[in-house]
Amino acid sequence: MNVIQLDDVGLRFQVRRFGRVSLKEYLLHGLFRRSKKATFEVQALENINLAVGEGNRLGIIGHNGAGKSTLLKLLAGVYPPTSGRRQVSGRVSSLFEIALGFEHDASGWENISYRGYLQGETPRSIRSKMRDIAEFSELGDFLNMPIRYYSSGMMVRLAFSIATAIEPEILVVDEVLSAGDMAFQAKARQRMRELMSIARAVIVVSHDLPTLALMCDQVLWLDHGHVRQIGPAQEMIDAYKREMSGAPQLHAA
Amino acid sequence: MEARVTGYFSEIWRLRHFWLALVRIDLRNRYRRSMIGIGWSLLHPIAMTVVLCVVFSRLFGQDVRTFAPFLLTGLTLWGFITAVVMQGCQCFFQGESYIRQQPAPLAIYPLRTTLGAGFHFLLGLGIAAVLVWCVNGFGNLPALLSLVPTFALLFVVGWSLAICAGLVNVMFQDSQHLIEVLMQVLFYVTPIIYRPEMLLKRNLMSWFVRLNPFAALLELIRQPLLEGTLPSSWAVGVGLLTGFVMVAVAALALRCFEKRIIFYL
Repeated sequence: MNVIQLDDVGLRFQVRRFGRVSLKEYLLHGLFRRSKKATFEVQALENINLAVGEGNRLGIIGHNGAGKSTLLKLLAGVYPPTSGRRQVSGRVSSLFEIALGFEHDASGWENISYRGYLQGETPRSIRSKMRDIAEFSELGDFLNMPIRYYSSGMMVRLAFSIATAIEPEILVVDEVLSAGDMAFQAKARQRMRELMSIARAVIVVSHDLPTLALMCDQVLWLDHGHVRQIGPAQEMIDAYKREMSGAPQLHAA
Repeated sequence: MEARVTGYFSEIWRLRHFWLALVRIDLRNRYRRSMIGIGWSLLHPIAMTVVLCVVFSRLFGQDVRTFAPFLLTGLTLWGFITAVVMQGCQCFFQGESYIRQQPAPLAIYPLRTTLGAGFHFLLGLGIAAVLVWCVNGFGNLPALLSLVPTFALLFVVGWSLAICAGLVNVMFQDSQHLIEVLMQVLFYVTPIIYRPEMLLKRNLMSWFVRLNPFAALLELIRQPLLEGTLPSSWAVGVGLLTGFVMVAVAALALRCFEKRIIFYL
């Protein structure tokens, strides 16, 4: 049985032309300017068919804005598909926009427990992991300080340490390998490899093609929200590189 | 349908450590770990009570000993209602970074608001109760026990209000200002700083009290606490009806927007 299955999944965003809509504007538009719409739609993903089986490691590549991160968020359940069907059997652990989701007035220690609780930990289970998380982050006494005073690198260290402290069933990762300074990156890479070996399935987005080739058995090439190609990792990466090095061409949307 | 509702609540329960931790940090930020902090945030209803007592006892000859607890209970309950509505407006923006990070039932964010406001409400009411007991002696126990289901009702109404306010404010960002004006109007048509009898005497105005859910909630609190009697069947009826309607509206709104809110944040 597949751990993740997407059947003809599409995701359509409604984008507001002028940021958030106010009630006043809405009423005015409705009454007087019926023709001009305040929103337009963006088809972020279309006709995505995907099956990730037990033990699979899937990499996702593509240009900026191809929909890679959106697809990951859809897999993690943050975005519901607007068409098609998404089936996931198992708990998804996600690692993206890693510095998000902190309480800035609380200390590092407290944030470890909050994030842990959100990931479904209990006070008892998180207590046993606290030390490991603190040790891995190497933040030491900074953990007593409110997050407000952390540098972005420190936040990334903390977030990565928390998110990877749990044993993931399905791991969804968005380019966090470039997180933190050199020493931490090497450590993070090591930790990622460990996690990928225990997780039932892994989906990772990255621009680091050589690493992807090593880590993944399959690669999905995403282009303007469509699946361009999917197949064995090295083959896809070679094809992708060939196109990149070829004459710069514009794709019709 | 039923399975979906139970599943939703069990998911909320599973994440209880998360939202309880958020409530705790909200309270701590508010009270800053000191007794002065608590006094500080109760200053508003107390100061209002003192000022209004002075004015009303001079102008309308109200007896301060009964009027002060009357005002304090009214202002405390109204403080709770405004808190769940106005802070509820912000609740999804406040939780935005979590919503973007991990799928979880949306209702936990208004729940955070409601529990924080509820704690504050109980503190204020405690002070009012002490005030009453100092003046009149300890009240009637069975009547006081009727406050327990009232608190449950208030919690449900508050949570539902916060959900609705939060969703409306995400859809239309300026609705917060409209709601603020509306709350101001409601403050004056609800017998908070004047006695309900003053309106009930006039035929037309009496409907402001009879059909006003907040007037019913006020009586559910005041009657047992101040008079030592059980609340009237009118108050119980309107209160329960308000509870049912609010829950239905909030549930419907969540059903429509639970999945879509992420696109509007």
